[in-house]
Amino acid sequence: MIFVVDDDRMMAECVAKACGEKEVRIFGDALAAVAALADGLPEMIFMDVMLTGPDGFTMLNELASYSDTMRIPVVLVTSVEIGGLNLAEYGVVGVLSKDTMKPAEVRKYVKKYC
Amino acid sequence: MDVEVDGILVAAHELKEPFATLRQLALSFDEMNASNEAIREKMVSVSDRAIRQVNDLLRLRRLEEGGLEMEPVAVRPVCDEVMRELEYLFRYNQRELFVKYVGKERLVSANRELLRSVVYNFLLNAVHYTGNEMRAELVVSPVRDRVRIAVRDYGPALPMDVWRELKRGWVEKPTSIAMRPGSSGLGLFIASRFSQYMNANVGAVRHRDGTSFYVDLMKSQQARLF
Repeated sequence: MIFVVDDDRMMAECVAKACGEKEVRIFGDALAAVAALADGLPEMIFMDVMLTGPDGFTMLNELASYSDTMRIPVVLVTSVEIGGLNLAEYGVVGVLSKDTMKPAEVRKYVKKYC
Repeated sequence: MDVEVDGILVAAHELKEPFATLRQLALSFDEMNASNEAIREKMVSVSDRAIRQVNDLLRLRRLEEGGLEMEPVAVRPVCDEVMRELEYLFRYNQRELFVKYVGKERLVSANRELLRSVVYNFLLNAVHYTGNEMRAELVVSPVRDRVRIAVRDYGPALPMDVWRELKRGWVEKPTSIAMRPGSSGLGLFIASRFSQYMNANVGAVRHRDGTSFYVDLMKSQQARLF
């Protein structure tokens, strides 16, 4: 199971489709995604940063706060430049730019972490 | 930062979003099992939105030239037209749009295209801020000598910091709320500028469970003929 968190539904669906055969759940905001963690932990999360309501960094902080969720690999999918930030300790294993990413890059992460 | 440069940055940032989505959709032709028709429909919707944003920016310049005529405009056909245009986006994002016209049909003193953009941008903002499977409301009602067009969303309330920026920056300049991708912050700025040009009052009400944006337009004197 993969979570895709993005308030742009079209963009979220593009990422979801690029995940191939894997089961994907799409969430429009961080609160819904965090609530869904109670149903079962995803193998990985693709997440936008600038979300409606609590942003991606808030969700990263939430994930890092618990021993079970802190190990979930997170790939940030964003149009915001976030270079220079050390996000590895928040479980971030990669950053994809919405402006330049390709479906194959999404698949590369899925293959590696799922 | 210079207000004009700030505005250009905001516009560029917001226009980047539909282009990034279009690019992903184009790349999806090989990826999606969905029919080409479904992808085409999405691409048209995103393109329409981008073109409208560019047209609004061009109209901002025309405001300065004063070349946009005011005329008696019937509100309901304008709202109906915008709703038809955004119907796909509401449906696609699993939002409902509830519409209510209170009182008899009124003419307002406005520029039809500017009014159309104001309603469009309010509704676009509601698409973004309304939660999944929740509804937005468009209500047209008489308020003393004016007609109010209000759009209410039932999404998460605007954060206080964003709210303060919106209040502080309303009308004068695009605020950093617009730097939140897809927030339609630029759209709200445009709506406020267009409203100002039409001598209309714009405002917003922050609810516990969402936000209402409204514009109060002067009733057209011509309405008395009917």
